[in-house]
This record gives sequence, structure tokens and C-alpha cells, in this order.
Amino acid sequence: MNEKKTFWKHLQAWVDGEEVILDADKYIVSRPKREKSDWRSHFTMEYVKEHRKLYMFLSIAISVLFIGIMLGVVNGLPEFGNPHNPANNEVMERYLESGIEETGATNFVAGMILDYRAFDTFAEANVLFLAVMCAVILLKKDSKNYCAQEEQEKYEDNIFDEREKKPILQMGGKVLAPLVILYGIYVILNGHLSPGGGFSGGSIIGAGLILYASAYGQKKMRTFFTFRTFTAISVGCLLTYCACKTYSFFTGANHVGFAIPKGTPGDILSGGFILPLNICVGLIVACTMYGFFALFTKGDI
Amino acid sequence: MREVIAAIFMIAGLVIFLVSILGIFRFKYVLNRMHAAALGDTLGLGFVIIGLIILGINVFASLKLFLIILFFWMSGPIATHSIAKVEILTNKNFEERVREK
Repeated sequence: MNEKKTFWKHLQAWVDGEEVILDADKYIVSRPKREKSDWRSHFTMEYVKEHRKLYMFLSIAISVLFIGIMLGVVNGLPEFGNPHNPANNEVMERYLESGIEETGATNFVAGMILDYRAFDTFAEANVLFLAVMCAVILLKKDSKNYCAQEEQEKYEDNIFDEREKKPILQMGGKVLAPLVILYGIYVILNGHLSPGGGFSGGSIIGAGLILYASAYGQKKMRTFFTFRTFTAISVGCLLTYCACKTYSFFTGANHVGFAIPKGTPGDILSGGFILPLNICVGLIVACTMYGFFALFTKGDI
Repeated sequence: MREVIAAIFMIAGLVIFLVSILGIFRFKYVLNRMHAAALGDTLGLGFVIIGLIILGINVFASLKLFLIILFFWMSGPIATHSIAKVEILTNKNFEERVREK
């Protein structure tokens, strides 16, 4: 049945569950190989050297073309400082005039990124999560991508790490890491009142975790931060964010009929969803920072 | 009078920063460059912040600035120490370590 069949017969055979090509393995081995036509093999080093002048001309021409396009765009830009520029539109006025009233946050930036444009921030948090997941796929060591020699090396590294005494670093980590983490929590919780918020506070917490991990080693870190807690915190925070914003989405942009209490602007418990969303973003960023550190140093969280 | 004293302290700090930046670019070996970098982080920053404390608006601003000094004087030397330790433990090139070649 090696001869070519029509498409219809092919489909019929496939629907009936027949094997379309008998002895498919042998057929794949014996079939004539396709000629590889790689356009890259045409441009060898010798070819480039022979046509040096052409390449010089081409590179200059392309550069001049791009410079021309860029300068044309710059020429078309609106004048700097003109009050009628498209950037100075009613959106900015709306944010600045009724931002406190509508979001309940005294920090306009927090009100903007976590209330008016919360979906954008949600995608940013997703990007961070995706990045750390890619690092986990590539770098995390498990039984399938891990040979005996690497295991031996890791074992020796661990022995070396445990024997190494670092009293100065440990003393510093003991004093500084809690303070750094506390400051990060302060920045997150005050995100809607003062400069700061989820992203900056989360990176401060991540720095504190990295300091603690480098002082006391991964083994001690595992007592409270394993891969399970890492995934639980990241996924849980993303889902909480998603749920909060879905609620806003379905009840209308301004929580029509089902308003979240905004509180008095300036209080710690105010701003509707901004405080929980800040906490979610901060936890995700902290996990991501520490995850990158752990994956790139030891290959495991 | 207070402004003058504060200005003297801050200018001293900036001069030390200048020296430390020069050192980072002039020296060739890790430990020498690290010495220069740590100089700016501790002494230079200390002088600048002492100047700011003298200029200080109120007590709480001064206390916060003092906390900044405390934080930097703890974290900077510890980080420098860790880098130096790794360099000493891993660099096997004796000529570079001793004679800066």
C-alpha cells in the first residue's frame, strides 16, 4: 500500500481506523531524503569577502534609510511643551481632578495602575509569573534532566557550603533581613497612601529573602519557603487578583449597585480593592525575585 | 553658621565620592577596586548624611537619616567582605593576587 492514494481514500482509511501506510517505520527509513535547501549556506565567509563593496554599500544604504524614517517621524512629532499636545487631554484632567473621589487612593499612581488600568497591571503580574515559570522549566533540577555526575557535584557543593562558616554574613543577615522585609511590607501596605506599592515593595521583600538565603543557605530557607508554597502563593495571588477584577468588570466599571466601600481617603483601610490588589502584586513580585535567585544559583527552590 | 558647617560636611563627602570613583577606574585588581568602592559607600555617604542631619528640618527627618547611615554601614561592609572572601577562595592566580599582574 505504498503507492500514493487520493486524498479521499486517505481520509476514508483514516476514518475506518486502518493504518494508512503499512510498515510506516520502514517506509520512513527507506523513503528518499528531501534535498535540504538552506539559504544560509549560500552566504559563506568567502562569498561575503568577495562582495565586500556591495555589503558596504548595502549597510550604508539601509542605515541611511532608517535614519531618514526616524528623522521623518521626529519631524512629524508635536512641538515640545505645547499645551494642545495630544498627551494633555481630558484623561489626565479626569485622573487628577476626580481621582481621589473615584478610587479613594491619595496616591494617584496607585489609583491609576490598580483601579483605572487594573487589567494592564494584571497582565504585568502574569508576565512576571510566566517568566519565572519559564526559568523553572529550563533550570529546575529533577530526575529527568539530571545525571549522576551533576548530582555528585551538587552533593559536594552542599558539603562545602555547610562547612563554610560565614559569621559576619550570618550576623548581618540576622539583623538586616527582618528589617528589610518589614520595610517592604510597609511599602506595600502604604501603596495607596504614599509613593510605593506592590512592585517596589515586592522587590524589597525579595531582596530581604535573598539576603537571608545567601546567609543561611537553602536548607534553612526550605523550612518556610518550598516550591509548594512558591506555587501556592503565586497562583493564589493571581487568582485573587483575577477574581477581584472580574467582580469589578461584571458589576460595571464603577461597581454599579454593588459598591466596595472606599473609606475616607488617607486611612490605611481605604481605596476599595487597591490594598488587596497591592498585596497580591507584592507577593507575586517577591516570589518571582526569590525564585530567580534560587533557580540560577542552585537550580531548585 | 549651621549652613556653612553642613556645606563643609557635604563637600567633604562629595570629594570622597570623587576619589572613590577615580579609584574604581584606575585600579586593576578586584580587591583594590573594592576598597575604593567601599570608601564611597561608607565614609562619603556618612559625611553627606551628617551634613543633611545638621541641616535637618525636624527631629524625625534626622532620625530617619541616621537610620540610613546605620543601614549602609552595616550592609556595605558585609557585602564587601563577602565579595572579598569569594575572590580569595576562588582566584588561584598567585601573581595576580600578590603582585597585581
